[in-house]
Amino acid sequence: MIWIAIRMLTGDAQKFYGLVFGIAFSTLLITQQLTIFVNLIERGASGTYNVSSADVWVMDPVSRTTDVNFPMPSTALDKVRGVTGVEWAVPHLRAGASVRTSEGDLEGVSVIGVDDATLIGLPKRMTVGSPDVLSQPDSVIIDDVGLTRMFEDGRSPIGERLELNDQRAVIRGVADAIPSFTSQVTLYTKYSQALRYVPGTRNRLSFVLVGAEHGVSPEELTRRIEEQTGLRARTRDEFAQDGVDFIIQNTGIPLNFGITVLLGFIVGVAIVGLTFSLFIRDNIKQFGALKAIGVTNGKIRKMVAAQAGLVGLIGYGLGVLGTVFFIWGFSGNPTFKGFYIPWQIPLISMAAVFVILALTGWLALRNVLKTEPASVFR
Amino acid sequence: MAETDIQAATTAKAAICSRGVTRDFKAGQQTITVLHGIDVDIRAGELTYVVGESGSGKTTLISIMCGILWPTEGEVKVFGTDIYDLSDTELVEFRLNNIGFIFQQYNLIPSIDAANNAAVPLIAQGMDRLEAREKAVAMLEKLNIGNQAGKLPSQLSGGQQQRVAIARALVHEPRLVVCDEPTAALDAASGRRVMDLLREVAVAEDRACIIVTHDNRVFDLADRILVLEDGRITHDGSEMPEGH
Amino acid sequence: MAFDFRNMSFSRQILPVIAIIGLVAAVIFIFFGLPDRELTEPDREPPRAPDAMAESSRVAGAGIVEPSSELVQIGSALSGLVTGLFVQPGDRVSEGQVLFTVDDRAARASLQEARAAIAEAQASIAEANTARATASRQLALYRNIDDPAAVSRAEVIRAEGEAASANERLRLARARLEAAQARANSAQTEIARLTVRAPIAGEILAVNIRKGEYVSTMGGGGNAQPFIEMGQTQPLYVRIDIDEEQAARVAMGADAIVSPRGAAERRVKASFVRAEPLVVPKRSLTNSAQERVDVRVLQVLYELPESNGLFRVGQQVDAYIPAGSGAQGDAE
Repeated sequence: MIWIAIRMLTGDAQKFYGLVFGIAFSTLLITQQLTIFVNLIERGASGTYNVSSADVWVMDPVSRTTDVNFPMPSTALDKVRGVTGVEWAVPHLRAGASVRTSEGDLEGVSVIGVDDATLIGLPKRMTVGSPDVLSQPDSVIIDDVGLTRMFEDGRSPIGERLELNDQRAVIRGVADAIPSFTSQVTLYTKYSQALRYVPGTRNRLSFVLVGAEHGVSPEELTRRIEEQTGLRARTRDEFAQDGVDFIIQNTGIPLNFGITVLLGFIVGVAIVGLTFSLFIRDNIKQFGALKAIGVTNGKIRKMVAAQAGLVGLIGYGLGVLGTVFFIWGFSGNPTFKGFYIPWQIPLISMAAVFVILALTGWLALRNVLKTEPASVFR
Repeated sequence: MAETDIQAATTAKAAICSRGVTRDFKAGQQTITVLHGIDVDIRAGELTYVVGESGSGKTTLISIMCGILWPTEGEVKVFGTDIYDLSDTELVEFRLNNIGFIFQQYNLIPSIDAANNAAVPLIAQGMDRLEAREKAVAMLEKLNIGNQAGKLPSQLSGGQQQRVAIARALVHEPRLVVCDEPTAALDAASGRRVMDLLREVAVAEDRACIIVTHDNRVFDLADRILVLEDGRITHDGSEMPEGH
Repeated sequence: MAFDFRNMSFSRQILPVIAIIGLVAAVIFIFFGLPDRELTEPDREPPRAPDAMAESSRVAGAGIVEPSSELVQIGSALSGLVTGLFVQPGDRVSEGQVLFTVDDRAARASLQEARAAIAEAQASIAEANTARATASRQLALYRNIDDPAAVSRAEVIRAEGEAASANERLRLARARLEAAQARANSAQTEIARLTVRAPIAGEILAVNIRKGEYVSTMGGGGNAQPFIEMGQTQPLYVRIDIDEEQAARVAMGADAIVSPRGAAERRVKASFVRAEPLVVPKRSLTNSAQERVDVRVLQVLYELPESNGLFRVGQQVDAYIPAGSGAQGDAE
């Protein structure tokens, strides 16, 4: 009977493709918009995730995110090192600065000072050069997305001279980093160098990056550090979440994307619901005949479920495929750098498709189940 | 059907026994009684016509007799089974196994070919699709349209569609065939051919065949004619009464 | 299930297959597209808490390596051109060894002058002696003549005067000699002062002068660079800054674990020397004119063991010191 149901469904090509299109469109809209939404707000956490080796971030109690920070006195580093369970701790500086390029343009950049000796705080991978170039005087490493903003003509930035706080800075490498929410140009340099590049204030130490001893959980360590030093300590994941929360709280992004996703859902319900109802109504006589011949309501339900299932499978598959093509197609674009599809999102859109089909299928089925077999004799 | 076999011995020729079948329809505040206590036996091996004006209740009567419409009162035994004593699911099963339907508008599924349309009851019974199709093709051949087996209903003429519908009604060898206005959409010659065909393939020793019609051109082919007027049987005989 | 190829249908067979392939592709894409957020170990060894102190309470501090004599910045007492430089950085010198000399030509000239004056004075002394001898002989002669008429009274008086004058001349000449000798001594002292010598035994750490350069008495110890920096580098000390808030926790007298910046895996044990009695403002590297200081540090000195060039004077180090609570007792 399911074979017949599928035949009935695909026999009406117009409605079948209408249904598939409706589901595919909804899936695409929901999946793609949710993907972009998640990736966009996770830009708030990129500063945290770019540093691959720190278990815990320690900061002034008023600091909120990697970019919204209040510097600490330099002895905070030693205070943190004195805490039991801290395997290592290194200084980390993040501050905004204005840079003058060799053409004389002014560009706002964020300067990141990494530990002089270990270079902890640099992104994991480099696009051009190696982290060792920082040992040369006046060296900075630029991030790859910042590179496209700063050198729009695509020429090699290696050896380019910049002027930062009246100091000379030479680009000697390009880091492979996830850009920040604002896609600001980021310059990595040594901590001691960064002190010179950032206009002076008394305290400079933005963060202390901490590695936990084996056997000490980051959560436990943050508790100890906060207790002993009075500074604010966050685990890597907590701090990444702080960055995301900051964007959620301070931008209209969740609302905008929420509206789009809802629209996708409504469009899906509307298209699929209408088409499905039309399809069932067109076939109501056949269903009535089947019921008279001796097909139980349970089998009818299974038939409609199979039809919905096929539409759902094809529509969902094409929709997800579309999203994958979208993300894959734009992966070379700096705006979309590092974009990925979190595995939860296809599951969410699958649930949405399920709800759409269950809802519309139920509505359409009600007609069929209400049809009296006797109606076929009239 | 073990129980029907036992019943068959007692009521040898009574395929359907309806006793005191009454049916009311509610129209707003009013209750309209369509059938007034019908007592009739339909015998197997005969071609029985149910004839009447529209509104006389003939469709209601055969709907009740073949188990798709509940009577308000009375009981119906089909081959000894009190069908309105069965649960809903059992009744559906009973219809599937014992009754073949030929609808006025055929109600073929447009997106599957003639053979598959004819095989629907077998498929619904759970038979493998290809096996069912084979049997259906055999039945179509019996009805002289075996060469049309692979065509969609929309590619067939009205008469051919009718034959496919007949094949569907007979393919699972039901013991009761119910036929609603089989000739209504056909010209006189085709109508007659269909009736001849029905006589030929549907009437069997242990099979009852009820045809609802008001087509006077084919009355002469009936074994028995029941005339219904205002919910009552006014005539029961092998010939039409005078005046019709 | 038998497959009827004649009924191969786009919507019934091909589309679902495309959809399933699409889903599989999407799963693969999503799986491999997930961002790399793995925590990694740092490439280069960061300063870690030593194993012995990993689980106990401890105090961390940063410090600078210095000579055990502290840094001696050699100055010059006199200004002038450098004429001789006898050491280079890394030389070990003993106490009193000549380090450099300043132009001593003026001093030598005055020594020469003094020596000439000495000779002159000595000549005067000789001449005066001779005159005195002549005069005294003549006077003796006159005295031995009994006949008063033989020598006039005036002659005698003249001879007595000559003898006295010769004596005076001799005294004058002696005084001149002393003065000349004093001048010569003074010139020699000056020459000695123009030769700068090592005040202690130790190692030359930096030489900031070259032959021919002018050294001024204003140099050294002030704003200008010291001419030569030296110190006793056997053993080396390390001066650890401890935040005043943490100072109370330090276990005074316990050994510290010290590692140089950039070679955190090479740790040595340094023994306690003393804590400076004075808590000083933390030295910061901000170079800001309006710099304000609110962090003060306790400085604690530790003696580094012989480490074969691992530590050098002026190098920054990271140190871990046991905290002086119950944990210290456990460690010992």
